[in-house]
Amino acid sequence: MMRAKAILRNPPLLTFLLVALVWLIAGLSLRGFGAYGHLRYLLELAAVIGIAAAGQTLVVLMGGIDLSVGAVITVTAILLPLLSPAWDPTGLVGVALVLAIAVGIGLLNGAGATFLQVPPIIMTLAMATFLQGMLVLVAGGSAVTVQNPAVLLLGQSRPLGVPAGVVLWILVSACMLLLIHRMPIGARFLALGANPLAARLSGVSTTRNTLILYALSGFFAGLAGLLLLGMNRQGYVGIGDPYLLTSIAAVVLGGTSILGGRGTYAGTIPGAILLVTTTALITVVNASPGWRSIMFGSLILALLMISGREARR
Amino acid sequence: MTDAGPLLEARRVFKGFFGNPVLKGVDIALRPGRVHALLGENGAGKSTLINLLSGALAPDKGAIAIDGQPISRLSPASARAAGIAVVQQELSLAGDLSIAENIGLGAYPRRFGLIDYAALARGVREVCDLVGLTEPLDMPVADLALGRRQMVEIAKALFRKPRVLILDEPTSSLSAHEAGVLGRLIATLRDRGVAILYISHRLNEVQALCSHVTVLKDGGVTADRSLAGVDGEGLVRLMVGRETGELFPPKPQQRVGKVRIDVEGFSAGLVRDARLAGRAGEIVGIGGLVGQGQEDLLLGLYGAIPAKADRAEIDGRSGLPVDVAAANAAGMVYVPADRKHEGLVLPHSIASNILLPSLGRLARGGLRDRRAEAGLVADLARQLMIKGDVARPVQALSGGNQQKVALAKWLPLDPGVLLLNDPTRGVDIETKREIYLMLRRFAAEGRLVILASSDTPELVHLCDRVLVLREGLVAAELSGPAITEAAIVGAAMGVEQGEGIGRKTVQ
Repeated sequence: MMRAKAILRNPPLLTFLLVALVWLIAGLSLRGFGAYGHLRYLLELAAVIGIAAAGQTLVVLMGGIDLSVGAVITVTAILLPLLSPAWDPTGLVGVALVLAIAVGIGLLNGAGATFLQVPPIIMTLAMATFLQGMLVLVAGGSAVTVQNPAVLLLGQSRPLGVPAGVVLWILVSACMLLLIHRMPIGARFLALGANPLAARLSGVSTTRNTLILYALSGFFAGLAGLLLLGMNRQGYVGIGDPYLLTSIAAVVLGGTSILGGRGTYAGTIPGAILLVTTTALITVVNASPGWRSIMFGSLILALLMISGREARR
Repeated sequence: MTDAGPLLEARRVFKGFFGNPVLKGVDIALRPGRVHALLGENGAGKSTLINLLSGALAPDKGAIAIDGQPISRLSPASARAAGIAVVQQELSLAGDLSIAENIGLGAYPRRFGLIDYAALARGVREVCDLVGLTEPLDMPVADLALGRRQMVEIAKALFRKPRVLILDEPTSSLSAHEAGVLGRLIATLRDRGVAILYISHRLNEVQALCSHVTVLKDGGVTADRSLAGVDGEGLVRLMVGRETGELFPPKPQQRVGKVRIDVEGFSAGLVRDARLAGRAGEIVGIGGLVGQGQEDLLLGLYGAIPAKADRAEIDGRSGLPVDVAAANAAGMVYVPADRKHEGLVLPHSIASNILLPSLGRLARGGLRDRRAEAGLVADLARQLMIKGDVARPVQALSGGNQQKVALAKWLPLDPGVLLLNDPTRGVDIETKREIYLMLRRFAAEGRLVILASSDTPELVHLCDRVLVLREGLVAAELSGPAITEAAIVGAAMGVEQGEGIGRKTVQ
C-alpha cells in the first residue's frame, strides 16, 4: 500500500508504467505492434518529440512556455539546405550555422520576456508568427531536399542497429538530467519557477537565467528540426507544426507542473514515448485523417486530465 | 446623552489565530452620541476587534452585544441590518462601477424588481453632499484620486443610515481639506446620536474629535477612559508602558568598529534624502508607522529596487550595488518581512532553500557537490536549531522555523551587513528570543545589523541606534538612553517631545 502510494506520487515512474502497460496490451492484441522494427520506429519518432520537449521542459520548469518550438523546427529544416555550402564535405558548417540561428531566436524570446517584460506566451507566439511569415518569403511554397551528409547520417544511419536519432536522444537526456539535477543552474531554474521573487531576493538573476533558458529551448528545437529533416529527407513550411502541442503535452504527461517549479526531464522521456504510441494506435484504427486528429486531440486531453492532476496553488 | 446604554459592545472577547492569541478578554462599549477612539500599535489587535464588532469574525469566547442583547452568531449581514457600518482601511470599491453604483451596492432601491436609478440617485446625492463629493455620480470610481475614493467609501457607509459607524484610519489618504470635511461630518453625526468608533494614528485628530479612548496593547485593554484633560504626551504615555521581561539580551558596551555603511542623500521608493551610517558591531533599528519607507530603504540598499545616493560607501567600496547579486558579492544580505512570498520557495525542501544562495560557491567543476551541500545544511540546521528533516518542504514548518531557514541560508556567505525586515513578525516568543540572541551574536562578530521593525519594544531594547521614518524622511535619529518607546512613537506620529501636539489637520 505504501509502495503504491509512492508510485502514485512519482509521476515519471507512473508515466513509464503506463507506457509499459500500453505496449504490453497492444503487443499482445495487435499483430505487428510488438515487432522489433515497429518499436524501434516508435522510439525514433519519440526522439524528435523528446528532443523538442527538452527545451520546453526547462522553460516550463521556470514557469514559462515556449510556443515557438514548432516554428523553430520548421526554420532549421528549411534553412539547412540553403545554408550548407557546397565546399564542406561533412555538412557540419551548415549544422552549426542553423543551430546558431535557433539559439539566436531563443535569445530573442528570452530578451523579450526579461527586458521588455512581454509575457512568454505572447512573446513566443509572436515570434512563431513572425518566423512563419519569414519562411513563406524565403522558401516560397516549395519543399527543399536535403543533401547535407551530417544531417542525412543523423536521420538515416543505425549504428549497431540503433537509429542515430535515438542515440542523440539518449545523449540529450543524459545532459538534461545532469543539468536539472546536478548543476547549480538547474536548481536556480526550479527556484525561479516556484517563487521568482524569493529567488531574485536570494541573488538568483532572473535576466541571466531567462536568457540561458530560452537559448537552450531554441537550441533543442533546432536539434529536433535537424533530426526530423534527416529522417524526412525533405523540409517544407509546416513540418514543425505538430511538435508544438506534442512538446508541451510530453512535458505535462511526465508530471512537470505547468505552473513551474516542480518536475523533471525524467518524466518527459516516457511522456514522449506515450504520445507516439497513442498516435500509432490511432493509425491502426481505420478512420479518415480528420477523425484521427480529433481522436488524438481528445486522447491527449484525457491523458493530461489523468496524469496532469495538480493541486491548485 | 452619553448616559444612554451602549449600542454596540464587545464583552470580554477572546480571539486567536492558529493558536496565537490576538485578543485576550477585551471590553469595549460604543455609546450613542460619542466619538470613541481606539488606539494601539500595529499588531495590538485593533483590526481583529473591528472584525468582531462587524460580524466578519466570530469571537472564540465572550460575546458581541447590540442594544444590550448578546448576539450568539453575528454575521456581516445581520450587523449591517442592525445599523453597523464599517469604513475599512483597504478600500473595497469596484473600480469599474460608477460612484452612485458603488455607494448603493447591495442596497439598491428596487421598483418592479429592477433597480430604481432615480431613487438611487436621490439617496446618493444626499450622502455625497454630506461628505462633499461634487463629482458627477456616473463617474467610474477608478477615475478618482485615492482621497476621493475614501470619501466614496464613507458615503457608502452613510447611505445605509448607520447607528454605529466604525472608521478605520479614514484620514490616512485624505488631504487636509478632506480631513476637515470629515471632521465636521463626524461632529454632525455624533450630534444626531450615532455611535462612532474612530481608529487613527494621528493623535491630534484623536484629541480634536474624540471624547473617550480605549487603548489596546498586546491584545489587552490598558486604558478605557475619558479623554478630558489628556494631552498629546499623555496619549503617547497611554499607548506605551509595559514590562518587557527577559526577552531581550543585554546591550553590550558600545564597541565601535569600522564603518560598514555610509550613505548620504539616499533615495529609493518612498525614501528621500536619507543619511544612514553604520559600523561593525552595531544593531541599527529603522522604526516608524507601517509603510513610511522602511522597506524601500532596505531594498534600495540591497539593489533590489532602483536607488540613488549622493555619496555611498559600503564596506570600503563606493557606490550602491546595482543588483542583488552585486549586493551579495559586497557582503550584504536581506531577509524579507513576508517570508512566505519573498523569503522562501515554499514547496521546495528546507535544504534547497538553504542552499539557494550558495549553489555556485559549492559546485565543483560545474557540478553540484552533494556531500559538501549536505554537510553545510546539516551544520546550519544544528547551529540554528532548525527542527525536522531537511528534505521536508519548508511550508511544513512553523513560522518561527521558517524564519530561521530564511536567515540560515545567508550565513555561508559570511555577510558583513544584514538587512532584516521585521524578522519577528508572526513568530512565537521563544523563537523571538532565539532570533534576538542570534542578532546580538552577529553584531558581536563584527557584522552590522540593520533591522526594520514594526515592534517598538524591539527597537528600544535590541537596537544601539534607531532611525524613525515618517513619510519617507528620517524624522528622528535616537541613540543610547534617548531610545525610548515614547520618543519613537512620538517621532513616528509627528508629536514633538515636550511641545504638545503638532499641526492640526482636523478642527
